[in-house]
Amino acid sequence: MSHIVSIQTEVRDPVAIRSACDRLKLPEPVFGQVKLFSNSATGWAVQLPEWRYPVVADVNTGKLAYDNYNGRWGEQKQLDRFLQGYAVEKAKIEARKKGHSVIEQPLEDGSIKLTVSVGGAA
Amino acid sequence: MSKTIEITVLPNGQTKVETKGFVGSECRQASQFIEKALGQQTDEVLKAEFHQSASRQQPVQEGG
Repeated sequence: MSHIVSIQTEVRDPVAIRSACDRLKLPEPVFGQVKLFSNSATGWAVQLPEWRYPVVADVNTGKLAYDNYNGRWGEQKQLDRFLQGYAVEKAKIEARKKGHSVIEQPLEDGSIKLTVSVGGAA
Repeated sequence: MSKTIEITVLPNGQTKVETKGFVGSECRQASQFIEKALGQQTDEVLKAEFHQSASRQQPVQEGG
């Protein structure tokens, strides 16, 4: 045991965005310019369930552009679910790149725990 | 003790990364790749073991 770090997720990896969409059974993300209600955004567009406009991820800044009209045009929990799926997939991708094994486990409070074994112990 | 990195992704997409089984500051190096990949660090708590040297245990002070 040594340290605990809290991280605000930034969406920067198109591969992990795609994996998150697969995981959540969302349509494939599409790159391009997307019109939102009063403006437009360029990046990877993800269509969340029952959202009027897509969420657009700018992978250079890690920021998301969307207009859900304070929840009236799309529930926040769908966006949260996407961010959770993205973070899980991104962490798994990075751990496997390093050759570490990963075990995924759902927790009762809705969190997802990943245990990454470092240094060979699978 | 086996070395693990535990990543807890909360329902809102925020993440907590905790290292286990490491001694001293090697935990930071071990988990840095995940932390950088996920986003912006908002908080860090160092636990007692962080202050232990690899060779012998030393008295631990809070708040390091």
